[in-house]
Amino acid sequence: MKKKILFDSFLFVLVALISIGVTSCVTDPVDTVKNCDERLITVLNPAISSKMTERVPLTPRADTLEGKTIYLVDLQWGGPEAGYSVFEEMEDWFSRNMPSVNVEIRRSSGGWMGDDPALRKEISSKKAGGVVIGIGG
Amino acid sequence: MSRFARSIELEGNIPTVGASGVNVVRFKDYDLKYSNGMPIRYVAFPFPVAGQPRSVHKSYVEGNDLLSNKPMMQAIIDALTKPLTDEEKKEGIPAEGAAPEPRLLKPDTEDNLRRLFKDREWTDFNPIILPTEERVAAMLTGTSHTSGEVVSKMGSREITVEKAAVYAVMAGAKPEYFPTILAICSQAQSFGNSTSSMANMIVVSGPIRKELGMNSGIDVMGPFSEANSVLGRTFTLAGKIMGDLRLNAGAYSTLGSNLQYNNVCIAENEEALPEGWEPLSVQQGYKPTDNVVTIGIGWSYISSVGEAQINHPPHMMFRDYMRSLAGMSATIVMDPTVAGLLKDAHGFKTKAELSEWLSKNVEVAAGTYWGNGVNTTAFTPMALQGLEPFAAFSKASPETLIKPFTNAGAIQVVVAGGGIQTTWFVTDFGLRRGILIDKWK
Repeated sequence: MKKKILFDSFLFVLVALISIGVTSCVTDPVDTVKNCDERLITVLNPAISSKMTERVPLTPRADTLEGKTIYLVDLQWGGPEAGYSVFEEMEDWFSRNMPSVNVEIRRSSGGWMGDDPALRKEISSKKAGGVVIGIGG
Repeated sequence: MSRFARSIELEGNIPTVGASGVNVVRFKDYDLKYSNGMPIRYVAFPFPVAGQPRSVHKSYVEGNDLLSNKPMMQAIIDALTKPLTDEEKKEGIPAEGAAPEPRLLKPDTEDNLRRLFKDREWTDFNPIILPTEERVAAMLTGTSHTSGEVVSKMGSREITVEKAAVYAVMAGAKPEYFPTILAICSQAQSFGNSTSSMANMIVVSGPIRKELGMNSGIDVMGPFSEANSVLGRTFTLAGKIMGDLRLNAGAYSTLGSNLQYNNVCIAENEEALPEGWEPLSVQQGYKPTDNVVTIGIGWSYISSVGEAQINHPPHMMFRDYMRSLAGMSATIVMDPTVAGLLKDAHGFKTKAELSEWLSKNVEVAAGTYWGNGVNTTAFTPMALQGLEPFAAFSKASPETLIKPFTNAGAIQVVVAGGGIQTTWFVTDFGLRRGILIDKWK
């Protein structure tokens, strides 16, 4: 009789343990995943959808810069002198290698993040052949 | 740069080329897809460009473009003269390349999902709680707002209430934290992403500090409070994912900042404020019973290390330390004992009086001020336009002492700490106007 009680108790505990494991896998799969390693779980996606910005084409290019005016626009990243001599070196290169190109160096009053409508207007009104704008970094 | 170039191309029909350090140019594709829309042509110099002597700039101009590997000047001429490719002629919203994200991830094992979250850099690489539907639904019970409501926008990217709940779950938050998290997420786009080491500060004001169990006392700035820790971390996760900031693909700070793990998330010790010193939120016009979170941007903080001295009291030390800051804004975090000393022994009846004194007494040599690249980049254009005080600063000789903190309102004071030592931090964080947490309940 004593043996029977022990056996029944053993069976009861075994069934209870199995039940707990099964039930918890069903109701709280993440916390019990160690007991069911291959269980598949579903989670929400943290990533944010990105919509592409509307594409705008570049303006058509002319064949050559010869005889045209080129603007070199310094956005003053790091200050008014930080990258300015890059443009002076470009101006020097044009004077030696393409002397027909007229070079105008300007500092943008809007700085790195800003705008300079007056300068844009000047560039447009002069019908510039091209603009080199920089310099970050 | 790309906006300026686009305007010139569009308005004047003038060919334009962006010339920049390779560290900036590497992000041109991201800018094209999500921001500018025009396939600006670029040439790339080696980095750094700014501040290099002319001899180096000469070598850059005579060297090769790092994108095309052609001689730099030939690359520039080509960019201004070569016919457009089909890609460069495209108009309208491109069908290809958009990045719609499904609401649910494909079912997978926990190990695989954890790996995926790390691979996609959606975490701070500390363990996270996976955002199951049940957990996110539980988090959403913390607010009356609907799950699809937009909390914050950055270009076309939006954080909804449900996304914020995902980040809250990931960071380990409780539903009662959620209104504060929503308020924090409403500024997630300000998470520091800069070539410099930008970081954030989060200060919580009002009764909610106590309701959430936030620490405003002993070790307020240390890792000793669940609420301080989790709220700050949620901003990190939200900010990273919002900005799609991944290493070498969007995140571009050269040194980064360790402060970005928690964003200096603290609560003000309002109960310990000296009489007459108002809580931060009340200074901003909110009621003492309002729950408010204030977020700031900055880079650095400096500790007093030791306790206050009678012969050279704290406000003089603030002044001395603030000479090291960029000079745009400051936030001083001080123990209540320091606040008490300043009021009782040195006569500062309000926080505003202290800010005013500092504004008038912090001086720095003009050369030092302009030696800070952030000041030079940000304020030189204003100086050139004749805007004061920057025009006057720019005319001063390098040795001339100037008072950079012209706006006393940009010097904030937060009282926090446990009264163990008369110590403080001087920081360069500039706090924005606080956000009402209660509207997110």
